Amino acid sequence: MKRLLIGSTLLGVLLISGWSTFQLSANVGTIKLESQAGDVARGAYLARVSGCIACHTRIEEGGRPLAGGPPLTTPFGTFHAPNLTTDKAQGIGSWSLDDFARALRQGVSPQGQPYYPAFPYSFYSKLSDQDIADLWAAFQTVPAVTEAGAEHQLGFPYNVREGLTLWQGLFFKPQSAIALRSDDERYNRGAYLVESASHCGACHTPRNLLGGLDDDRALQGAENLLDGSSVPAISAGALQDAGWTSSDLAYALKTGLKPDGDVFGGAMGEVVRDGTAFMTPQDRDAIAYFLLNRE
Amino acid sequence: MKTNTVLAVALSVLVTVAAPLAVAHGGASGVVKERMDLMDSMKDAMKSLKAIFKGDVAYDPEAVRQAALVIRDSAGEKMTSLFPQGSLHKPSEAKSEIWQEWDRFDLLAKRLQVISQGLHDAADNQSAVGQGHMGEGSMMGTDSMMGSSSMMGGQMMGNSAAGSESMMGGMSEMMDSPEHYAQMPADRVFKMLTDNCSSCHTRYRLEDK
Repeated sequence: MKRLLIGSTLLGVLLISGWSTFQLSANVGTIKLESQAGDVARGAYLARVSGCIACHTRIEEGGRPLAGGPPLTTPFGTFHAPNLTTDKAQGIGSWSLDDFARALRQGVSPQGQPYYPAFPYSFYSKLSDQDIADLWAAFQTVPAVTEAGAEHQLGFPYNVREGLTLWQGLFFKPQSAIALRSDDERYNRGAYLVESASHCGACHTPRNLLGGLDDDRALQGAENLLDGSSVPAISAGALQDAGWTSSDLAYALKTGLKPDGDVFGGAMGEVVRDGTAFMTPQDRDAIAYFLLNRE
Repeated sequence: MKTNTVLAVALSVLVTVAAPLAVAHGGASGVVKERMDLMDSMKDAMKSLKAIFKGDVAYDPEAVRQAALVIRDSAGEKMTSLFPQGSLHKPSEAKSEIWQEWDRFDLLAKRLQVISQGLHDAADNQSAVGQGHMGEGSMMGTDSMMGSSSMMGGQMMGNSAAGSESMMGGMSEMMDSPEHYAQMPADRVFKMLTDNCSSCHTRYRLEDK
């Protein structure tokens, strides 16, 4: 609670002091992908491993695909991932590929409004042009659902959307490079999945009082989430100390079973159920290999 | 002096007797300790099943049956009776949602019992194990879910056998049929058992490091 109060106060101060110094229009850059052809099957796979389906579908309630997600409770309030079906009014049916790319890469809506970082665009900004074109092609196959998503429930000051432009200016580092190894495809594939598509750091990297990712402590775990839970470190050292092997990690991503016989719960249970269980064995192996060898 | 000696002896007896109890599960006591012990016994059983179905050890139907019985005998009413209303004191990892959604929790506990009985009965159905345990290339593989270009349409969620499988909707229809599980490949039943554990942990367990 104290942390929340401090965060609220800091954000309020930032909002007031920053109002005159920051231009409160979203960071809209030029993106031109209209000519990029997409692969539906590849995009569908990417939608699964990137968490689009998990977050934007009420899976447990038997909701329609991508018609809006279940509540996401955070220290800043409750978010509801919106309808991403092809419905022109309630979904993204009236968007262009460039609108879609701008949302993923820059965290900005077609109307120029910044998105809350509950939408992990910090990670999606590293997706390639082809990734985005493929995702877009797959999204075009989703049946329209004329159902409005629920509104976010956020208290002051988090409900002041203009503050997000400031937040993005402070904490959003678009398209920061993924550290790759020139001669190790498995490592690079794992890096791409962990650091971009599957956005593992969204939960496993600690955040500051305003929800900005602490990149200096990437994948080192997060504590004291709203419901009292915590997220373990998945840095190479932490995983090795805990006795994880590459084989066990890949198996856990497939089944949810840990080496000691326990089964994942919480958000990780959902990640496996709705995401990593659908990955190819090669992708799960690549994640495990990358995490255990990450530099 | 005599009083001090008596107190010292009493204290040492207390420490000797109580310490092991207090240490177990970080100081759990009463019903919380009982259910944490119960979960531990199931965890041990799952560990041995995992070794078998992951392929780390040779397939052993009798070991599968024994582990399945441990889970069966810990599930259902045996489990739910250890969750009296409001028993949330530390170090319990239970969430209050258990009592807010008691029927759902109870259903998952009962289903665990039915599936574990099914796994016991299916233990000799080894044929699929060596062909990609846990359903690789079948229900969980890439072909059925991701390979289809119509995946993003109705098919996407409809055959979501890997996930919640319209988790609560389909549950009641399936749980009354241990004989149904007994006809299935053992690795497939083990996957359903694991998914059931995950459904419960995902919704009702507080995650800690």
